[in-house]
Amino acid sequence: MIIDINFVGLIIVSIMASAVPLILASCGELITERSGVLNLGVEGMMIIGAISGFALMTVTGSLIIAVFGAMLAGVLISTIFAFLTQTLITNHVATGLALTIFGIGISAMIGKNFVGIPGKEFPVLFEGLKDTIPLLSPILFGHSIVFYFAFALPFITSYFLKKTKIGLIVRAVGDSPESASNQGINVRFVRYACILYGGAMCGLAGAYLSMIYTPQWIENMTGGRGWIALALVVFSTWNPIKILIGAMIFGGLTIIQFHMQAIGVRIPVQFLTALPYIVTIIVLVVISRDSRKIRLSTPSSLGKSFHKDN
Amino acid sequence: MNTNLKISNVTKIYPGCVANDNVSLEFNSGKIYALLGENGAGKSTLVKILSGVIIPDEGKIYLNENNLELNSPSDAKKNDIGMVFQHFNLFETLSVFENLIIDSDEERESLREKIDSIMRKYNFSIDLDIPVLNLSAGQKQKVEIIRCLIRNPKVLIMDEPTSVLTEQETSELFLSLKKFSEEGILIIYITHKLKEVMQLCDEVAVMRRGKLVSVSEIKNENIESLANKMVGQNLKTIKKKKVKTSSDQLIKITNLNFTSEDPFETNLMDINFSVNRGECLGIAGISGNGQSELFQVLSGEILSDKNSIEFYKNYIGDLNPQERREYLMAFSPEDRLEQAAIPQMKIFENVALNNFKSSNFFNNGLINENKIKEHSKKIISDFNVNTDNIDLKSQFLSGGNLQKLIIGRELITSPDLLICFNPTWGLDVGAINYIHETLIKINEQNKSIILISTDTDELLKLSDKISVIHKGRLSKIMDSDEVTSEKLGILMGGGN
Repeated sequence: MIIDINFVGLIIVSIMASAVPLILASCGELITERSGVLNLGVEGMMIIGAISGFALMTVTGSLIIAVFGAMLAGVLISTIFAFLTQTLITNHVATGLALTIFGIGISAMIGKNFVGIPGKEFPVLFEGLKDTIPLLSPILFGHSIVFYFAFALPFITSYFLKKTKIGLIVRAVGDSPESASNQGINVRFVRYACILYGGAMCGLAGAYLSMIYTPQWIENMTGGRGWIALALVVFSTWNPIKILIGAMIFGGLTIIQFHMQAIGVRIPVQFLTALPYIVTIIVLVVISRDSRKIRLSTPSSLGKSFHKDN
Repeated sequence: MNTNLKISNVTKIYPGCVANDNVSLEFNSGKIYALLGENGAGKSTLVKILSGVIIPDEGKIYLNENNLELNSPSDAKKNDIGMVFQHFNLFETLSVFENLIIDSDEERESLREKIDSIMRKYNFSIDLDIPVLNLSAGQKQKVEIIRCLIRNPKVLIMDEPTSVLTEQETSELFLSLKKFSEEGILIIYITHKLKEVMQLCDEVAVMRRGKLVSVSEIKNENIESLANKMVGQNLKTIKKKKVKTSSDQLIKITNLNFTSEDPFETNLMDINFSVNRGECLGIAGISGNGQSELFQVLSGEILSDKNSIEFYKNYIGDLNPQERREYLMAFSPEDRLEQAAIPQMKIFENVALNNFKSSNFFNNGLINENKIKEHSKKIISDFNVNTDNIDLKSQFLSGGNLQKLIIGRELITSPDLLICFNPTWGLDVGAINYIHETLIKINEQNKSIILISTDTDELLKLSDKISVIHKGRLSKIMDSDEVTSEKLGILMGGGN
């Protein structure tokens, strides 16, 4: 059988495209979790981003307003989460779940008027270079700015955490909020900032889905990608570079699922859908074999509320 | 330059408790000051006020005549007051260097040079690029000290610094502190250990129930006088009456070995000893030489070969702690809040954890609350636990009261053997005395004790026989009348 080189390129590009929202949401959530906050509202924040982006694009006609508006919507909804968990000291898990349910509900409500409206074409970069090198140039060129940003983000995140002072403070807060507070770091402020940043990235991930990936509004269109993004953070053991690898694998599973169905391979869809979670559990089992490794990589205060005495 | 720190009429009131009652104190550099008091005397509150963690209700702090506004830890730092807390304020998963750079505004390179020169000057050797969780307690404390020294502090406050250190590390710390003092740093040393005050300090301030009771020079004091000031009454000195113990063997350990998979644990090699009825066997050693592994093997947390432990003619090496309790063994682990009791559970619930077939705490799977509460009340009154609220969560008990509760829980069933591990670790003099009296009493009732402890004085006071554990091996068993603390020290260091 001759494998069509263009077909291979197409598959790789489609895997990368499906990885984009996962990378964006995971990198955002990773920063939130590195500061010790577990926000299970990723799915909710993504869907809010998706409807906000699509609605703003339809109403204003401006892609820039739509993209930034989606990020702002993510920030706003995550502010609710931050206020509840950091100021009112509610439980992270319960609040995050509520956020997801809230996001799905409200997006469906707003979205009623936008069902069936066609999306707009999103401009791509370097389109002229697409045919220069076989296989490579279709992969590298002719994508949206969000696509390039997503693939740069893990490296930026890694650099931020490892090399910058603010990144160090984020990690310190996640390691021991008590010690950080005694060092004069404003734990609540740092955690607010990380939650809001996570919200912005989830909003962007949602906007990518509704404006670029499948440019239209469908109710519940995130389809569990938020949960996969959450699993991805754990899968990566809180390492941004591994998020990139994980997102390609998880994105790949989604794409393969489509192609398998097309070819007629009889693997139950449910099994393929469950694969990312199964893989995450396997990774968790493997890393938990080494208790030192898990202590070094997991933010020690993850999901724990912090009360400042006095 | 001379540094003068003045605390003037400081008061801090918590609901139901006056932590600091109009405390005034003055310190001058060139001397090492001890702030002495029992747990709960208010000394930690006072130093937290000095370090900006707690804001006082009334009173002022002056450094070289300047009134300081200490509203946060960073205010204290800005005013050159450095503090090393009892519980380290380190980020375990970050590297040593990251821990040091986090509150510094200096460039990485220049800070690294500065740290290197501090380490050279005081003979510290710590790898800056490994995560803090790989360090020993002594090394972690050095990191905390370096963190203070980077800022060239005028005042250095040490809050109970030796509670986690080995004797070797303690003497290293004392050398460094004396050096700092010579260099003009004002040192305030908070402790409840009298011996350390006598060894290290020049002046001592004693606190009791939130009040300052005395300020005096060390040369005018001795251990007894300080202890009496601290407790507020004349402490009777405890001395164990040596009686001829029986030759009725209770427990015999034969060729006991334990090999751990965890590289941070110590392997036990070829342990052999026996304890007779009415006898106390003391096991000395520097912490981390296999004590915790030995305790776990003896208590059944780690199972061993069935025949390696013989308890009154039964082979019990493969039995778990619950099953061993049925044979009338009792255990008091080292870590009161992690191993012995569950902090979030109420007192009576913690009592119920030590559950026997015969105790009738549970009926058909239901909790017999009245029975347990009655039993708990008996423990509280018999063992002098200073609370009458058995619904209190255990985490709110002071260390001394919690230890009394645990010892009481173990002893109320009148076991034949009590195995305890550092039973007086971190307790104040009053509580230590009470625990020691209790342990002597059970020996007098012809019950036996295995006392694993890092406190040599305690071992010499209470034991009939003593052995030393070093790198997982036990020395020969000696009669406690024949050993001195010097000899134990040599054996603990691995000598002969």
